[in-house]
Amino acid sequence: MAFFRNLGRSLMGGLGNNLSGLSSTSYEMTCSNFLSQQLRTFIQMRTVLKVVDNSGAKKVMCIQALKGKKGARLGDTIVASVKEAMPNGKVKKGKVVYGVVVRAAMQRGRCDGSEVKFDDNAVVLVDKQGQPIGTRVFGPVPHELRKKKHVKILTLAEHIA
Amino acid sequence: MRLEKCWFCSSTVYPGHGIQFVRNDAKVFRFCRSKCHKNFKMKRNPRKVKWTKAYRRLNGKDMTQDSTFEFERKRNRPERYDRNLAENTLKAIKKIDKIRVAREERHHSERMSGKRSKERKEAAVELEQGIHMVKAPSVLAQDQSLTLPKIQVRVSQPQAEKNQPMEE
Repeated sequence: MAFFRNLGRSLMGGLGNNLSGLSSTSYEMTCSNFLSQQLRTFIQMRTVLKVVDNSGAKKVMCIQALKGKKGARLGDTIVASVKEAMPNGKVKKGKVVYGVVVRAAMQRGRCDGSEVKFDDNAVVLVDKQGQPIGTRVFGPVPHELRKKKHVKILTLAEHIA
Repeated sequence: MRLEKCWFCSSTVYPGHGIQFVRNDAKVFRFCRSKCHKNFKMKRNPRKVKWTKAYRRLNGKDMTQDSTFEFERKRNRPERYDRNLAENTLKAIKKIDKIRVAREERHHSERMSGKRSKERKEAAVELEQGIHMVKAPSVLAQDQSLTLPKIQVRVSQPQAEKNQPMEE
């Protein structure tokens, strides 16, 4: 399977020489390192996100990114369907909820020109008015939320990146 | 505005450059350029990567302890704006930079101090061993000043006869 992945990459990168004989095994090892550097994109339909509050859900799948043709980014709101939930929680599996993206693997530009990116895609469930359903938020959150008027989430957060 | 240090190479990251990566344990890694970022993603240890400041400090190539480094410590207390203070600070920055550069030069020259004598010794050895590449042996035989002192090698007769079939 690694061989087919290498073929796919070689079409783009012109790595034709890795198929030749002796050095192929060591080259395949370095190729797999480069394959792990993915290009991160928007949060769109079917994207599974982690839920980082104590509302009861564990994983949600994005149904719609409100605002944005290509998808949602850090700080945007999405409509999602709960795929996995804790047995006794405020939300149950199959419910359609709104969420605010608090961590995104795709980098977002800041106003000073630098870029931030996080390790995973995470969301905090909110209601229609934008108030969070849960009472705690885990992990770091960006301060882009202040501009988007999600002040409540910022106050609940344990670390602001 | 704050000038940060790159996590990998320890160079300054100016505003508008680089990428910040926030890990889930809330540790922030700042990188000055994609070279450092890619090395980080490859999980390379900066202490083992030759061109980083971390390696150089660890292996004694650059100065580690100096009083000029005290001035660059991170201070989290904002200072009330005072024009005189700002002016003096700017002047001091320039002076401290100059002093630091001079001290690093001195450290470097001290590190390289035995280099010239070492090079000369190596060159003498190389000349002695490789003189046949410079002048042909026949010329050396005629002109006595170019030859090296002769070394006596004792060879017994039967061994000399054995060598001839091997050469063919």
